[in-house]
Amino acid sequence: MRRPRLKSHALVGAYVLDAVSDSSRIVFERHLSGCAACAREVIELREVTAELAMGAATEPSRALIERVRESVRQVTQLPPIADSGVRCVDASRSTRTRRRLAGPMLPRPMLPRPMLPRPMLRRRMLPRLAGGLGAILIAAVAVVSAVAQHAVDEVSAAQERIHQIAQVLNAPDAIMLTGRAATGGTVTVVMSDEDHSLVFTTAGLPRLSASRCYQLWLMGPAGDRSAGMLPSPRDGMTSPVIASGIRAGDHVGLTIEPDGGTSHPTGAPILVLPL
Amino acid sequence: MVCQPDRAETNQSQQLRRITCVGTGRGSSPAPPGAGAGTTSRDAGLEDLLAQAAHGDQAAFEVLCHQVAPAVFGVVRAVVRDRFQAEEVCQEVLLDVWRCASRFQPKRGSAMSWVATIAHRRAVDRVRAEQRAAERQRRAMLHQVDYDDVTEHVEARLDAERVRRCLGRLTPVQRESVTLAYFGGYTFREVALLLGVPEGTVKTRMRDGLIRLRDCLGADQ
Repeated sequence: MRRPRLKSHALVGAYVLDAVSDSSRIVFERHLSGCAACAREVIELREVTAELAMGAATEPSRALIERVRESVRQVTQLPPIADSGVRCVDASRSTRTRRRLAGPMLPRPMLPRPMLPRPMLRRRMLPRLAGGLGAILIAAVAVVSAVAQHAVDEVSAAQERIHQIAQVLNAPDAIMLTGRAATGGTVTVVMSDEDHSLVFTTAGLPRLSASRCYQLWLMGPAGDRSAGMLPSPRDGMTSPVIASGIRAGDHVGLTIEPDGGTSHPTGAPILVLPL
Repeated sequence: MVCQPDRAETNQSQQLRRITCVGTGRGSSPAPPGAGAGTTSRDAGLEDLLAQAAHGDQAAFEVLCHQVAPAVFGVVRAVVRDRFQAEEVCQEVLLDVWRCASRFQPKRGSAMSWVATIAHRRAVDRVRAEQRAAERQRRAMLHQVDYDDVTEHVEARLDAERVRRCLGRLTPVQRESVTLAYFGGYTFREVALLLGVPEGTVKTRMRDGLIRLRDCLGADQ
């Protein structure tokens, strides 16, 4: 944390004022988790912004309060974290505990207009998601079958990959994460801490022009490292990509880059999932 | 691996969105020693109400709602500007407060600060989502916005004399950076553009400005 400390710390004010982009926010929160002084400052400065909010106090209409009062009955409250592990707050924490993230979504029905699209992010233990795993395995087998037609060398390379994939999927500590890309489409990640590896696959990502590629990244305190380009989709799905060398505090990110990829992300991530 | 030629272009500028209780992003911070310092007796009652609401007490939530709604609506209205949308966001925020009440941790700041954080994040999320839809026009417009209009509009809304006075003690760049970000919903990059000041300077002024405000407001109590 020594290198980014000063630079990140300067962002405290902008962070507290929500004057940062979402990706900067994730980077800063990553910094925050390892910097008690920053966390303290954030808390202090948030009290200041609360004063600003109170300074701007404007009485809302009675009708609004009434609507809230009525809606409350239909809104399920989240249980305390200690009981369920459902996370209410941010998706940036890098703790290694396994949590179920299946909290109730926002109360759509009583809102006058449709809610903004919310991303989906769930963590579940593997046995509960046999379907998703099945898709990965099928896609993985498809890799082998497709490649097998070309050359024996490639087959053995693909078999090696299949083996790596199987290793991650079968790891006793494997967990699954799903997320939705900002541009549409979903991603599924199965990760094993013990193997420091993850398997990444997608469905329904928008098609790109010939000159551009989806590139996968491990983003963390150790810097952003490319985990390779996503292969071209078949039937809307990309076959699994293995990313190894996950380090503490890493996020997995997806960007759109020029064909052939880049050494550092150039575009805003269309997806960032904390690992 | 190489990409195949494809037709559709995607929009890279879309932001990431986070799940569930928007704007309460304090979970990532470790509980620092002495963190409860921010909790003042002023809203000690809010903490109790929030604790009761966390246990499903709708009556307590209602009282809480009446107490925090003006600040919530005030900040949301300032950022979102459109009254109809502001009401919608305000409603979302208050329901978030109810839904996430159990996640409030007094050692990480006061109840008012927790609520205000949710409100501001929600409001900012809303305007930025709207703005993304018209990103180009917005970029073009950003060069034409007169920041004096924005800050004057915002400062005119500040009813609390104390806050207004403390804001008055900031340097112009500190004040403009803080108010444009907080009430205007602008990112520090946009603020830099509006003020014609380097981004690094804006970041620093935001922090310095907030620290000076903290000292001024703290001294007043």
